[in-house]
Amino acid sequence: MDENAGHRLKRSLLKAGHLIGLFLAMAIICLPGFWIVLSSLRPTVEIMAKPPVWIPNEISFDAYVAMFSGVGQGGIPVLEYFRNSVIISVTSTVIALAVGMAGGYAFARYRFRGKTAIFLGFMLTRTVPGIALSLPLFFVYAKLGIIDTHFGMILAYVALNVPFTVWLIDGFFRQVPRDLAEAAQIDGCTRWQAFWQVEFPLARPGIASAGIFAFLISWNEFALASQLTRSTNSKTLPVGLLDYTAEFTIDWRGMCALAVVMIIPALTLTFIVQKHLVSGLTSGAVKG
Amino acid sequence: MNKLLAGVSAGVLAFVAGGAALAQDLPGKFEGVTIDAKLIGGQQYENLYSRIADWEAATGAKVNVISKKNHFDLDKEIKSDIAVGAVNWCVGSNHSSFAPQYPGIYTDLNALLPAEEIDAYVDANIAASTLDGKLVMLPRAQFDVSALYYQKDIYENEDNKAAFKEQYGYDLAPPDTWEQVTDQAKFFANPPDFYGTQYAGKEEAINGRFYEMLRAEGGEYLDADGRPAFNSEAGVRALNWFVDLYSAKAVPAGTTNYLWDDLGQGFASGTVAINLDWPGWAGFFNDPGASKVAGNVGVVAPPKGSSGARTGWSGHHGFSVTESCENKEAAASLIWFLTNEDSQKLEAAAGPLPTRDAVWDWVIAEAADDPYRKEVLQAFQEAAKGAYPVPQSPSWIEISNAVYPQLQAAILGDKTTQQALDDAAEEAQEILEDAGEL
Amino acid sequence: MRGWKPAPHVLLLLPAFIVLAAVVVVPLMLSLYSSFTPFRLTRPDSIYTFIGFRNYERLLTDKDFWIAFGRTVLLLTFALNLEMVLGLLLALLVEKASRGQRILRTIMMFPMMFSPILVGFQFKFMFNDNIGLVNNALQSLGLTDRAIPWLIDGQLAFISILIAEIWSSTAVFAIFILAGLMAMPREPLEAAKVDGCTPLQSFRYVTWPFVMPFAFIAMTIRSLDIARAYDIVKIMTDGGPAGRTEILWKLIARTAYSDARMGLANAMGYIAILLSILFTLLFFRQLAKARQQVGAEW
Repeated sequence: MDENAGHRLKRSLLKAGHLIGLFLAMAIICLPGFWIVLSSLRPTVEIMAKPPVWIPNEISFDAYVAMFSGVGQGGIPVLEYFRNSVIISVTSTVIALAVGMAGGYAFARYRFRGKTAIFLGFMLTRTVPGIALSLPLFFVYAKLGIIDTHFGMILAYVALNVPFTVWLIDGFFRQVPRDLAEAAQIDGCTRWQAFWQVEFPLARPGIASAGIFAFLISWNEFALASQLTRSTNSKTLPVGLLDYTAEFTIDWRGMCALAVVMIIPALTLTFIVQKHLVSGLTSGAVKG
Repeated sequence: MNKLLAGVSAGVLAFVAGGAALAQDLPGKFEGVTIDAKLIGGQQYENLYSRIADWEAATGAKVNVISKKNHFDLDKEIKSDIAVGAVNWCVGSNHSSFAPQYPGIYTDLNALLPAEEIDAYVDANIAASTLDGKLVMLPRAQFDVSALYYQKDIYENEDNKAAFKEQYGYDLAPPDTWEQVTDQAKFFANPPDFYGTQYAGKEEAINGRFYEMLRAEGGEYLDADGRPAFNSEAGVRALNWFVDLYSAKAVPAGTTNYLWDDLGQGFASGTVAINLDWPGWAGFFNDPGASKVAGNVGVVAPPKGSSGARTGWSGHHGFSVTESCENKEAAASLIWFLTNEDSQKLEAAAGPLPTRDAVWDWVIAEAADDPYRKEVLQAFQEAAKGAYPVPQSPSWIEISNAVYPQLQAAILGDKTTQQALDDAAEEAQEILEDAGEL
Repeated sequence: MRGWKPAPHVLLLLPAFIVLAAVVVVPLMLSLYSSFTPFRLTRPDSIYTFIGFRNYERLLTDKDFWIAFGRTVLLLTFALNLEMVLGLLLALLVEKASRGQRILRTIMMFPMMFSPILVGFQFKFMFNDNIGLVNNALQSLGLTDRAIPWLIDGQLAFISILIAEIWSSTAVFAIFILAGLMAMPREPLEAAKVDGCTPLQSFRYVTWPFVMPFAFIAMTIRSLDIARAYDIVKIMTDGGPAGRTEILWKLIARTAYSDARMGLANAMGYIAILLSILFTLLFFRQLAKARQQVGAEW
């Protein structure tokens, strides 16, 4: 009886500890971001105040109104930036995933010579510092005439994301037992059908997390974009952030407002896509 | 021989005719011409570009904006263009501090515009836009020189006045010399709640501040032969001003990491008594939604150093026409139009300082009913009189990058002032030698 | 010819090959060549002057370069290890939660949605010694009456940058580890329980070996993904003051564009690549070992 109560106490303590830990972790994660969101809604005088103003006295959407009110009234071409960002990030993510699935599957399922070397070579392309790449890349792009185009940006981002989509998806395919697909083939499926009906669903958590990751990298990438884009033809949102800086001044509130515009779609997409991570649970069920 | 003479005279005739045509009817007619332009982007600068449509309507030409970027990224882009030989556009935004880095790509505007048009700009700005006798850019109404902002009420406080007089032996008033700034900054400082003053602490920002302080102390950055000369006695005095305030804790401890945004936010937070800053902040400081010191801001001209000269590091934005441009007349007409009186009025009305004499008069007249704006303009006009650009060396930015860590080392006490300046001068010398300038 | 069919793995790998060759390998050749020239951006002709290993010789004796090199290794080591531990804890916390999984996972990835430039500005303002949030909070709570110079003192600045870096990137580890946890089969855990393992033991011998490969993948990706650290440091301290927080990538960028000395910068870049290769090989071997441990099916 006593032992039982102690056990229960320990359990509820553990549970409480877990909840508190979770809450603290989430708070630490959210606070700096929340501060940016808040900064976009408060007058600047309250943000940089000393002594600090913890509770906002006044909330306003002025910064957002200004952002959309067109050039000359404190606005920036946010719709064009947004369009470019969406086109470039989505397309490059989809392509990077397709290329990554093909490559990852090859590494996980086939034996061939020089496999390790090729695999390592893929990874090492990511070790090249962006700065060593940016000018030569600019040079090649200038010769091809694809500076300031969606195509050029998509190509660059696919290359940026392919190494780890290959790697990650390879890892997940390896986890899917080979005999499952073989069993399906014995049951009369083609290899293609076996892939889509058996292996793909099981590797879905990996593909989903690679997808989210690739999308967020493209969505937020700045260094290459600032070099390869020039005008509203292809400028993306992160580059647009700098529209709020002048030589000697910075409009921090406007910047935060644009940041919120950037974050909301990314957050929404993540929220939708990450449910595919759950399918990993069913993989246990299949095996069990 | 005859043929040659004929050719020359025809050229002269064409030139004279071209000049005359421009003088009569700027902006002129350029039916069917397209001008590719790279312009500086960002809220503060883009308002002006609404005038491009007016120019297109007036001349029949078209402007194709192929790039619009922030100052530093545009600089990177132009350097990349030079590197890969892709300067195939006509008009570019330029800046007096960056212009010396692009030798040769911009054409001499003296040949394209009538002299009386060029006379209408402020002489000092034209001088700063002229490199080796070539007028490489036309200044727009984005002129920057610093003036001293201060909190009025602390100077009006009777207790402060009495205490200051007792301690320093003269009346408390907005400072006119840098020595007074030092006294007052130490007097007002009460860390960590309140600081006497602050300064930009890194990159070109602190090097520029050091440069103007050096000149105010009577020193030279580069001597007549172009050699680094800032490790002089005047240089030590100039740098000691920064060191002294830092070790007296009259400036925030973080000041060596501050750039313009930190400085502006700091003064607006009401925790800094005196602040040398740019005209772009004038509106911000007096806006109750942005600044705690709104309504309490005074502005005076930048103080004098021991040589009697005011500090006056300055820079301005402008537009240039490339050497490779096919239709230079049309391009020159465009940049003239973007910096003419109406354009400058449009920009200056929002706060930035003009670079035409007539527009200075106009903005001051406009500010007649606004005492704060009037005070601001008077202080900056006084500052503009003593203003000068950075040394016109293509290696200026590179030298800045080598020098500023040494300045920081002296301020933080890692090195003595003389040692830091000697080390910096040595590095600067090496850079100039590598660049073939010495 | 018509009957020839390439092996399936060649076909599958071809797209990746083409993209990487076009965007990485070709430009890389160009920059490798330029590291043997005194190439300056503003003087394009200088790319045709061949100076052999002079750039490299100069760097070998450049004290500032090697200090920055060492600091970068230190920053990477600290950041990656802390991020892995925190990411693991975070993933475990989230995985244990019985309700609100979708919300929790989305929040977990929240920092990844902030552009690194923004993270830089945000932490710079937060760590501002005079009006920053951190000092304001410490002073309001009465923990200190000084203005702590977060971004000035060499060690504090390192820590501040580390915090910004960890905040923005722990999510990467967390999501990969979480994906691993979710893909993990249940029955070994249940078997461990039946065998009387404590939760700690079953974590040590069942969960961790399974999740480790994912942690290493995340680690390798992160160790390569230096762009984020670059933007953050650039804005927070720009390597200063007095070079106290200079890291390699910043030094290279400044040499390349501000100083316009592309040749020298590329030479630095190639020395820096050695560092990345080292890290990559290290993790790769760990990964291979980890995979062997997990079992025969790998």
